[in-house]
Amino acid sequence: MNENDLSIVKKVLWLRLAQVVVNELYKQKEFVVPIHLALGHESLAVAVDAVMEARDNLFLSHRNIHYNLTRMQSLKEELDEYYLRKSGIGEGRLGSMNLFNKQKNISYASSILGNNLPVGCGYALANKMKNSDGVVFIVTGDGAVEEGAFYESILFMKSNSLPAVIIIENNDWSLATKTNERRANIDFDKFANSLDVEYLHLQGNDPFKYQREIKLLREKALQERTPVLCEVKLVTLGHWHMDHADFPDGKFINYHGGPAPEVQEMEYPLLETSSNDPLFVLKQYLPIDELIKMSNELTSLLKEEIK
Amino acid sequence: MKYTEYINSLLKEHVNNTDGLVLYGQNIDAGSCLGGLTRGLSTSNNSASILNTPNSENCLVGVGFGLMMNDVSSIFFMKQLDFLLLGIDQIVNTYNIIRQSIPSASFTIFPVTMDSGYEGPQASLNNLDDFCSIAGVDGYSVTNKIDAKEIISKYLTKPGFRIISVGQRLLQSDMLDIECVSQDEDANYFQYTNGDDATIVCFNNALQYGYELRNIMRERQMSASLFSVNAHLYKDYTSILNNIGRTQKLILIDDTKSRNRLSDKFLIEVLRSHLLKKEIVVGRSISDDSFGPCKDLLDIDYNKIVYDISTS
Repeated sequence: MNENDLSIVKKVLWLRLAQVVVNELYKQKEFVVPIHLALGHESLAVAVDAVMEARDNLFLSHRNIHYNLTRMQSLKEELDEYYLRKSGIGEGRLGSMNLFNKQKNISYASSILGNNLPVGCGYALANKMKNSDGVVFIVTGDGAVEEGAFYESILFMKSNSLPAVIIIENNDWSLATKTNERRANIDFDKFANSLDVEYLHLQGNDPFKYQREIKLLREKALQERTPVLCEVKLVTLGHWHMDHADFPDGKFINYHGGPAPEVQEMEYPLLETSSNDPLFVLKQYLPIDELIKMSNELTSLLKEEIK
Repeated sequence: MKYTEYINSLLKEHVNNTDGLVLYGQNIDAGSCLGGLTRGLSTSNNSASILNTPNSENCLVGVGFGLMMNDVSSIFFMKQLDFLLLGIDQIVNTYNIIRQSIPSASFTIFPVTMDSGYEGPQASLNNLDDFCSIAGVDGYSVTNKIDAKEIISKYLTKPGFRIISVGQRLLQSDMLDIECVSQDEDANYFQYTNGDDATIVCFNNALQYGYELRNIMRERQMSASLFSVNAHLYKDYTSILNNIGRTQKLILIDDTKSRNRLSDKFLIEVLRSHLLKKEIVVGRSISDDSFGPCKDLLDIDYNKIVYDISTS
């Protein structure tokens, strides 16, 4: 494995470990701001970070911890922001759901579903006015696509030839409701096709594949001056089973936000033995003992950073 | 000169003197160009970008903030203020984040307030007070030649965000050409006459009523101070309060249908500051049926007002 690839593996693992640290503090009621962990989203965040060029900008939603941490490669300032300290990324004024970091080209994040898409449109339009060849990356979810702003924004970007990569993190849940419990299915391929927009479907949490595919998508957006749509099927990990009289094995609770009570610190914090978990996918690339060794080293560094 | 023509000429002049603007909205460079309001903007300045947009107000408000974040100034023209309801999320949530930084670019939303009345439900929202209040943003109404010139030159492309609105009812009428005695340095309000018998203070687009009342009073050998408040967030009204303290008689006219009137807050301030001989408030009662198509003009008994003032 070359240095670049090793760096990708390290980043995926570090991002998981950092989130587990946040989760432990969260379980101890250290934070008053609501935080939405993104366990299971690590491969995607690392791939997007790797693809982004210096002139690109990122527009995030309420679940933004994975991008903020990956772009920062530091936990301390993120934690300080969650503590609402002046030393935080947003000087303690942004908290979690609106956390952005201009120095790392994270231009905006919003707690309102679909809100970041129009703002990204405007940013992309300004890029066009300035003849910049930057690409706007907008991350949204399967809940936000139900908002009118989603359609309006893609229509606007297409109408004005704005290069943008729109990523739908499709975890199939909005709060405690599954997609099929709240709406008809949306075929994003057909939807994109109706606006003459390229569509890409990703799943499986392979950070290298994600990086390759998103890089090609970015190039297409830039060369053809168009928005492109990338749907990434993933599972937000951290679910648990609640004691309940009607469910002998416990009632399934999907993870949406807050602490994940059953996620624990461990040597190699694997949460599922399937491709739903990016850490399971990493085992295709490195032997488990090497991953454990790497995990221990990264954990030590994290603890040292925040002590 | 018609109101529309005059505002259009001001816009063209200002756009012509400002580099790198993005002007956008539905039909702003096509068809009627918003009834003539934006006609010719595309040829007035080669450096401005003009976009005829889809009907997507939520997106379009967010676009202005996105441009602003990327240091590009813009003006979003809207045919009807009511459609701004579709962009309220952006005005509240997005701007509340952006306003934490010092802006280098400007974003102005320039809507037409539907105040002719016969649009029905749309015309029940014939004011900026509610929009400015819900988001805590600056907004200005323009009502005549003087305030239009001042407000547009001062605010249209000033870094930061605001709403500047013109009234549908006034657009096809002749521009009110009135002398100005003094103005607040931030163009929050203007004084048009100075007198001793009463102080007339107009809110929203009510200056036309106050002007008529002042003329009737003058015919009866009475003099009145006439003010019009253009800003829709609460400001410092010291000079108006001083004037009321001198005349001790207030006539307040507000043609908005808002239940959240700026003029009510102003009245509280007046009553807290002064013991008046007379105060007359002209507006709409809460029981008015203003949700369907109806005449929007205020019915004002000017003679009774003049009598009440002269005998108090």
